[in-house]
Amino acid sequence: MKFVEDPRIREGRKTLALAWLYFFIYLIVIMGSSYFLGIKPYLWGLPRWVAIGNIVVPIVFVIMLIFVVEKFIPDIPLTDDEEESEEKE
Amino acid sequence: MNAAIVTFLAYTAILIAIGIWSYRIVEKVPIAKYEKEFYAAGRGLGGIVVALIIAGGLASAGTFIAGPGMTYAYGYSWVLFNNFQIFMNLALLAPIGIIVGIVARRVNAVTYLDIFKARYQSKAIIILLAVLVTIFLIPYMSVQFVGSARVIAQMTDMGFFPSLALGSLVVLVYCVLGGMRGTSLAILIQGIVITVGCILLFIGTVNYAGGFKRSTEILAAQDINFLSPTMGGAFSPAFAFSIACITGLFVVGMPHAMLGALTYKNTRALKRGIWMGGILVLIWTLLLCMAGVIGRSIKPDLAVPDEIAPWLAMHVMPEALGGVVLAGIVAGIQTTVAAMAIIITSSIAKNLLRELKPDISSEKIKSASRWTMGGCLAIAIALALLQPPLIQWIIFFSIGGLQTATFGPILLGMFWKRGNQWGTIASITWGMITYALAKTIVPQIALWGTFESFVPTITSVIVYVVVSLATPNPSDKIIWTFWGPAMRTLKSNY
Repeated sequence: MKFVEDPRIREGRKTLALAWLYFFIYLIVIMGSSYFLGIKPYLWGLPRWVAIGNIVVPIVFVIMLIFVVEKFIPDIPLTDDEEESEEKE
Repeated sequence: MNAAIVTFLAYTAILIAIGIWSYRIVEKVPIAKYEKEFYAAGRGLGGIVVALIIAGGLASAGTFIAGPGMTYAYGYSWVLFNNFQIFMNLALLAPIGIIVGIVARRVNAVTYLDIFKARYQSKAIIILLAVLVTIFLIPYMSVQFVGSARVIAQMTDMGFFPSLALGSLVVLVYCVLGGMRGTSLAILIQGIVITVGCILLFIGTVNYAGGFKRSTEILAAQDINFLSPTMGGAFSPAFAFSIACITGLFVVGMPHAMLGALTYKNTRALKRGIWMGGILVLIWTLLLCMAGVIGRSIKPDLAVPDEIAPWLAMHVMPEALGGVVLAGIVAGIQTTVAAMAIIITSSIAKNLLRELKPDISSEKIKSASRWTMGGCLAIAIALALLQPPLIQWIIFFSIGGLQTATFGPILLGMFWKRGNQWGTIASITWGMITYALAKTIVPQIALWGTFESFVPTITSVIVYVVVSLATPNPSDKIIWTFWGPAMRTLKSNY
């Protein structure tokens, strides 16, 4: 019998790629803004790199995550038997 | 008895009630379904509970005690390092959540090692990992008890040992009696208490310090390096990157984090678990770490930096609110202990015992589960009596060891068909040896100032690939089980 890969595994691979891409973009932005923005002038009374890089950036990325996850990760059944699918709540 | 103690005792009483109630639920489950109920809560958990299990499991005393402690000691640089962990739920659930969810249902896996057993079909790997998980998680669990005892001791003035008993026995009750069912119920209450506690502590601290500007000026006068992202060059960007990998990318290898991947109900719960986890860890991490560094401008002379969060809770807000904050910190620690207790117990009482005595009855597994959990928690509590001074480094030691052993075999094992048991054994062995050398006589292994487990983890992945390619393919049964089509596809095609 010729091996045919479950299409849900392909979705799993895409989700892995999405997660790592998102995390690396976050890493580049948070490290870039932390190391290059400098301490002064203060913003909201905090060092500039803290206010932007460590408050604004994480909040923006967490909000964006809601949309990215809901849009790009599909709802797929986890059980093999359609009748027993747990997607039906 | 002050208002803070009353608040904390009320929280503790609720947890004990949950333990007793969930014990009744678990006891009603038929013996054939007992393991699935005790270890995976019937595999029916929704998004918020999954988010809390992973976030609460991974965010330990390292976040709730040592996080503010490190920012107190090293300024805003450690706010940056702690912010790397915000996407831990994404880093765990998104890469392997879907495939673990599918395979766990196919092979009826309810524990972390069940997945390894299905993937590698090797007794040696199960025994090796059961031993390693126990070796690394018991000290990890022990320092959680130390952290919680220190918080309670500060709050109540009743000394370390009674505080240790109060903080740990409640976990013993709801974990041993209720298993994953009790843990998942408790974690809902704990999640609310943690979040409210973090918000209160942050607001109270900023208010008491006179605002951000005033605290920044005081910190600059104390030491300008507190305002630097590298603490004046003490922490290089390479070190920061290695911490980002350990608290972000590599968490795939953390066994107690795998609990979420094994217990979620459907992909909607998985998605909610990912983004809700992001929101929760952001609130917990950012607010506590900011409170820690701002706390330095209020109280600059604490002998033990880890005591800053409980000190603030007791001094910058009304007593009753301080009690909520302290309950939140203890709750954050208890969630980690509970997740670890489930993992260790499942490794020993279910997987190891089944490997050594394949014909063991379900009744005996049930009894062994509770005795093993009670025994492991008792050992961790006994180790906590030693009162280690620097809990953050013990936490990093355990995280590093677990990730070095399991990152490659878990991640590649889920997606690369060619990976096999020989690659796994070689990868674990290589990882453990190089990590031990990096921690002891060959610190140069930690290249460019990275954390000691970084290079061993990366190189153990390479070893996994090389040895797998040099040895036979996994069996067709494994390949069909993990990547083969669903039965309904097979039925329609053939």
